[in-house]
Amino acid sequence: MNESLDPRVNRLRLNNSDGSFSVEEGENWNVFEVFHQEKRGAHHEHVGCVHAPDANLALIFAKEQFGRRKKCVNLWVVRSADILAFDLEDEDMFANNPDKTYRDASGFKVMDKINKFKAQSK
Amino acid sequence: MYGGGYIYEDSGRSRQQEEQLQDDPVKLAAFEARIARGEKIEPGDWMPVEYRRQLIRLIEQHAHSEIIGALPEGTWITRAPGFKRKLALIAKVQDEIGHGQLLYNAAETLGKSREAMINDLLSGKSKYSNVFNYPAETWADVTVIGFLIDAAAIVNQVANAKGSYGPYCRALERICYEESFHLKQGHDAFIELATGTAAQKAMLQDALNRWWQPIMHFFGPPDKVSSHSEKLMQWKVKMASNDDMRNQFLEAYVPKIWELGLTLPDTLLKKNQETGKWEYSDPDWDLFFEVIKGNGPCNKERLNVRKWAEEHGSWIRKALMREEERERTALPVA
Amino acid sequence: MQIQQALPELLIKIADDELIIGHRNSEWTGLGPVMEEDIAFSSMAQDKIGHAWAIYRILQEHFEGQDPDQFAFMRDAAAYKCCHLVEMPIGAYEFSLMRHFLFDHAETARYQSFSQSSFTPLQQLAGKIKGELKYHTLHADAWILQLCKAGEESRQRMQGALDDCFQLAGGIFEPGKEEALLISENIYPGEQALYQQWLSTISPVIEKAGLIMPQMTAPVYGGRQGQHTQYLQQLLNEMGEVFRLDPEATW
Repeated sequence: MNESLDPRVNRLRLNNSDGSFSVEEGENWNVFEVFHQEKRGAHHEHVGCVHAPDANLALIFAKEQFGRRKKCVNLWVVRSADILAFDLEDEDMFANNPDKTYRDASGFKVMDKINKFKAQSK
Repeated sequence: MYGGGYIYEDSGRSRQQEEQLQDDPVKLAAFEARIARGEKIEPGDWMPVEYRRQLIRLIEQHAHSEIIGALPEGTWITRAPGFKRKLALIAKVQDEIGHGQLLYNAAETLGKSREAMINDLLSGKSKYSNVFNYPAETWADVTVIGFLIDAAAIVNQVANAKGSYGPYCRALERICYEESFHLKQGHDAFIELATGTAAQKAMLQDALNRWWQPIMHFFGPPDKVSSHSEKLMQWKVKMASNDDMRNQFLEAYVPKIWELGLTLPDTLLKKNQETGKWEYSDPDWDLFFEVIKGNGPCNKERLNVRKWAEEHGSWIRKALMREEERERTALPVA
Repeated sequence: MQIQQALPELLIKIADDELIIGHRNSEWTGLGPVMEEDIAFSSMAQDKIGHAWAIYRILQEHFEGQDPDQFAFMRDAAAYKCCHLVEMPIGAYEFSLMRHFLFDHAETARYQSFSQSSFTPLQQLAGKIKGELKYHTLHADAWILQLCKAGEESRQRMQGALDDCFQLAGGIFEPGKEEALLISENIYPGEQALYQQWLSTISPVIEKAGLIMPQMTAPVYGGRQGQHTQYLQQLLNEMGEVFRLDPEATW
């Protein structure tokens, strides 16, 4: 190969051959989901994931991949495999939530009643 | 950073339709209705075979473009002039690797492992943006890349961020935020040369002349020759046509180049005041396809460097593969 | 020697070490063994260069020093005071990791001592970068321990890297003629004290990792007096290539 314009690359002494190279499945380790806490007292929020051989290195990696910009005070990592979630089809279990207005402040029209009472007592 | 440009597999309409026939028509209709309503698709959701395939392909190529894209600018990492430029360039190239990381994760949620994607990159099976197969000859090239290639990438990525696949959109949101730093630092370094000494200005003009064609190639072939993508537009995988994005880019950035007293090597380049569209000479599309085939000035070096990195990191990655975890238990979930 | 001469001697060697190791480690950006590590290692390289920049600014402000860019990008090797450890090419990743481990513990010991320095700017800087150094050594320790416990091949590579780096690392603590004055003025406790502090922090990690601690029989000195390996001038030529095209221009 010709001299590279990148002096770093020239120092690597690249192999000139077209020999193939492949990585083995699993070589990029396991996946950990990363949760970011912006300030003390705030919830940790999911921001992405890192590949790491264990939780310890996952946290070390997450610190730079997800904590190198903006405010961050803490991070959590948890193996993706340990996350349990509902399926999309199960979304219907939540479907009636908005109807159950007895659980919600909006379900109680206090002012209507007061206004009605005031109107009547005039 | 990433552009359009021949990213969709030209599977032919017949094959596309054939695969869609395998998809449950009721589910397909529900899926398309969700997208039409502006809902996002998430990893575990049902999706058409072709949607999954094209998305993997798109996100994977985008990821490859980030880690290969780190190389042309990386050429000047050890030579950036002054502390501020030195730190900004390292941080910028680092971000490209960070973007690759985010994008590989997004693609993995569709079921293809990072290892498989890396192997497809190394073997040449999977492509990356053509623009990174050109050499960064001088420091001025770094400023042209940092300003204009990143600007072009933002046009593309902002469009893609409105797409239908949740994990890709989330990755792009973060990426676009960081790209705005890239663009700003690139523009700053670009202006520094444009307004500097005669030698600096000449260096910049030379770089601009060399990079203009690859930049015009960046968004891919004109719509009239680009492969069919109506379905991908409907599915919100492809968000804007190549020509529209190219026009958007020219509209926003050509004035920013001209205002600094620089010229562009295209005598036909001008805005048509009636149509509001930019007119330009057709770049050499034969060359574009030659570079895609692997015959660009730096294709070989780029892949060989990636191969070197993977090969030399291999013992570290393998040493830390735990026996009990050799079978990967999970891909990213979100 | 006056304190006005002794202090810059100290500051220059620390900053030169940090600039050169930061420069070397930044060479890995985009070439690291796995993307996550690539990012982490690059951040730490940036931190190092940032520390050097901060000290060059202290020199400029308090000792009528040159503009930091001019000072860093225009000097030739003989005017540099870095130790040989940081000059060496990046080598294989185990070499760079081991150098990072040995250097960052030394740097940590140094800045910990600066947190009690009578020279306020240094004391303030020590406070400011404490957290960065904590991450650097956390990162280094984690890698050393993991790789040394990941099978014989891996442990041997790390042992080889330790053997290659150890005498060079001794050069970090090369005694300087300015030391006595700096110690008596409570600027810092001197190289011998830092060396002992360094040994006491790296030894438990090396032991836990199952590595054999070499004897410091021939620490590589000379860097603090401006004697360098061939690699430094090459590095400086490269680093200054663009800047030197026109040192008066702004880039």
